[in-house]
Amino acid sequence: MRKASRYYRGALAAGLLLAVRPLLTPAPRTAMPVAGFARLPVLEGGRVKPMDSFARNSLLLIRGTQSLTVDGRTVSAAEWLLTAMTKPEAADTQKVFVIDDPDVLGLLGLEQGSERRFAYYQIEPKRDEVGQQAQRAERLEAQKRSRFQSAVVNLSHRLDLYEQIKNTLMISGSGDPVEDLSAFNEALPSALRAAHEPAKASARDREALKALARFLERYQFLARACAFRPLPPRGGEGEDAWASIGEAVLKPGGGREPHPGLASYALMARGWRNGDASAFNSAVREFTAWLEAERPGDARRARQEVLFNTAQPFAAGMALYVLALLAVFAWWATRRAEAQAAAGGLLAAAVLVHTVGLFARVALQGRPPVTNLYSSAVFVGWVAALLGLFAERVHRKGFAHAGGALLGFCTLLIAQHLGASGDTMEMMRAVLDSNFWLGTHVVTVTIGYASTFLAGALGVAWVLRRQFVRDQDPETTRALVGLTYGVVAFSLLFSFVGTMLGGIWADQSWGRFWGWDPKENGALLIVLWNALILHARFAGYARERGVMVMAVFGNIVTALSWFGVNMLGIGLHSYGFMDQAFYWLTGFCASQFAVMWLGWMPARFWLEKSE
Amino acid sequence: MRRDDALGRAAAALGSMRLTAVCLSLLMLLVTMCTLLQVPLGTHLAVERTIRTFLIWWTPAGATIKLPVFPGGGLVGSLLLTNLLFAQFLKLERSRRKAGLWIAHLGLALLFVGEFATALFQVESQMPIEVGQTRDYSEDARLMELSVADVGDPAQDTVTTIPESLLKPGAEISDAALPFTLKIKRWYANSELGMRKPGDPPSEATAGVGADMAVRERPVLAVDDAQNAAALLVEARAGAESLGTFWASNALGAPQGFAREGRDWRLTLRPRRYYLPFSMTLKEFKHDVYPGTDIPKNFSSLVRLRDAGAGEDRDALIYMNHPLRYGGKAFYQASFGKDDRLSVFQVVRNPGWLIPYLSCALVALGMLMHFGLKLSASLRSAK
Repeated sequence: MRKASRYYRGALAAGLLLAVRPLLTPAPRTAMPVAGFARLPVLEGGRVKPMDSFARNSLLLIRGTQSLTVDGRTVSAAEWLLTAMTKPEAADTQKVFVIDDPDVLGLLGLEQGSERRFAYYQIEPKRDEVGQQAQRAERLEAQKRSRFQSAVVNLSHRLDLYEQIKNTLMISGSGDPVEDLSAFNEALPSALRAAHEPAKASARDREALKALARFLERYQFLARACAFRPLPPRGGEGEDAWASIGEAVLKPGGGREPHPGLASYALMARGWRNGDASAFNSAVREFTAWLEAERPGDARRARQEVLFNTAQPFAAGMALYVLALLAVFAWWATRRAEAQAAAGGLLAAAVLVHTVGLFARVALQGRPPVTNLYSSAVFVGWVAALLGLFAERVHRKGFAHAGGALLGFCTLLIAQHLGASGDTMEMMRAVLDSNFWLGTHVVTVTIGYASTFLAGALGVAWVLRRQFVRDQDPETTRALVGLTYGVVAFSLLFSFVGTMLGGIWADQSWGRFWGWDPKENGALLIVLWNALILHARFAGYARERGVMVMAVFGNIVTALSWFGVNMLGIGLHSYGFMDQAFYWLTGFCASQFAVMWLGWMPARFWLEKSE
Repeated sequence: MRRDDALGRAAAALGSMRLTAVCLSLLMLLVTMCTLLQVPLGTHLAVERTIRTFLIWWTPAGATIKLPVFPGGGLVGSLLLTNLLFAQFLKLERSRRKAGLWIAHLGLALLFVGEFATALFQVESQMPIEVGQTRDYSEDARLMELSVADVGDPAQDTVTTIPESLLKPGAEISDAALPFTLKIKRWYANSELGMRKPGDPPSEATAGVGADMAVRERPVLAVDDAQNAAALLVEARAGAESLGTFWASNALGAPQGFAREGRDWRLTLRPRRYYLPFSMTLKEFKHDVYPGTDIPKNFSSLVRLRDAGAGEDRDALIYMNHPLRYGGKAFYQASFGKDDRLSVFQVVRNPGWLIPYLSCALVALGMLMHFGLKLSASLRSAK
């Protein structure tokens, strides 16, 4: 026993070490470190976030990854962003646009080969054509678009984003931002003289007016075309008054000094463009010092979010869940107590890392854990794994551990795919902007999803064990069935309370308790199914096999109500439409039906035939 | 207690678990159908045809008969409620051990009663109101009414309204307040109205704007936000004398009518109105977005509520998740338009709105008690 607990502690410690590894890895030593730049806060998508988050989300959208390799060197998202903003001629040659659709490739005149990523310069000749095709496709509703139309709209949006990035600090790398700014400030007084009192204006004033008009045009373009607003409000301005480079030049705010960030960003842009490390580094340092003094809260939050981005707790969690699952299998195969203890330790480490990630998001966002489809996936996995961890204490047979680890891994994998479509900490639409209801209804109903999935996973385990394990001791079987019954009861409680709290929220915000909206119906189906399982068991219509197979069907009901109803594209809850997920969902349901069929067949039926 | 005669057997069948299982399965199928049918039909119609009905009807293509094909929500709901009550009072033991089940099931019964009450008594309507406007009525865009107004008296219009249910072709409508009768000639729930072109058949209307218009019937749009253009061909008659045949439509804005015995009459087809014993003035409407995006952050309407009868004259703020409850009705911020100058409130009258709150609390409490007992028993036995 003492030996086993040593294995438990060892596995736990090793797991945690694996998780903190990204934080301990030093950044590669380069002459121009981007870490300071990556921590600068910007306003984009309605919230203040570090440059790093914007860079990662943009690169994820465009390329599907959070970093890229250029000439054999790994380039971080922030570095790619900086290059795109200041040296677009270099960024245009980096292969960042993923294009899989053969028809879109045909439109671009590109050949489909082993390379699925293309550089901007390869697309540029057909840029207008892509824009026109996307405009045509956008006249149709999203659900009615063909595969080509969806792909071309998608590509066009990514191109728009990339072009906005190129026009954020400078106009596509043209001009010298520092000299432009000082020339503008120099021309301004005499140009104003020429404009207000044309009679008294000297020839130089008139010349300045002409120059000013050119500059105004450029800065107006920057104000329109930019991807984000990097300049925080100064004292006396509203909290929302973040400005883009163009806006800050055009509206200095009632005769005040120009925003100090203007000069800093101009120096950063020129420094990076010219490869001038000292100029770049000192501009970053100077602006950081100004931020620390003027906007300490934004600077701190941005630093924390960069830390979260670097730590990637959910990636570590996924790896640990897989390891825990393998350890359970090893235990089942070898019956060695060390493997059992290691599985417990690994799962505990995984849940711990998952918990830290979840609460870090809660703290960063200032919101309850579930705010969108992405965070619901993270939360479902967390609850299922946590339940598995505790349920194992009732019957120590490994099933609860295995189910929890499997669900933890799968839901984090789903979350990873959902997260590729943009900022996962997006702002809440008006009707959802209620921490109270997000914290009660959404959390409770999501716990209901998680536990229904856990019951389903136990059902799958029962079916597979019955078909594939030679010696089945009845005690283990009883434990598994009892566990499933308990989890179903737990699901019924949480899905019912969650659904009803949703009704009460709807009554508060839309004036009806129940509107038969698809998402409401989905939640109701989970409640009804769990109730049906319990009643069928109570009446004796479903015994061991019946309950377990019904629990597997719970997986289908839950998956459809979690993701399926969003694909209908109707109702008040349709906030996340997904294209590819449809095929995955169909595949999942088919696999669960197959498991149910296997459950209905006699135990080890293929063996009996051959014997 | 148990009787083995026909009555006893019927009671046992009504309270049987088999019926529970059948009803729960049927309910799941119904909810699934209701969800899928929302794609072609829209939420309102899908709910009307599957849930708020006793039988689901189906008309085969090309046929005119309606066939009942599936029990509707009303039938399954009543069966389940009956089943629950019979099972509860005939079979379930009255013991402390089962107290949780008692509470949960009675709470559930209350929930069903609440949903039936909603289906029967809930009235939903909208109140579109522009900044500066004062309104003392809400309207139901799904139902029309014909208003016949005597506009001769400058001090006050006298209005007679005729609900949509009476606007059937062939009907003759007379009212003590009207010195004429109205003969309904045509009724289109949805139509296309356009100016008459050369080559179009002559208009059936003889007076008003409709005399120059071509009106064609169109299939009714069922999607939730779609606006139908209803059209009504109506002839005003005094004895044998025709006072004119008019096309009235909610899509027509121009006033039209006729003079009779020195009084001017106006005919208007409009969404059905519900008058309130108080009025609301929209003072301000705000539509906030997150900076640098068009993601809505908040919608709010500042209204002045005036109720002479109750002596109320005060400001009220209606915003997301915070309705105004007044005079037995709740006003919700539902929509907006006209460059943020128009605010639309959803107006709901549901006398049973508190029932679900109570029943949810009961069911949750009951389940906690029951499963808590079971859990502690299983933990004891595991030790």
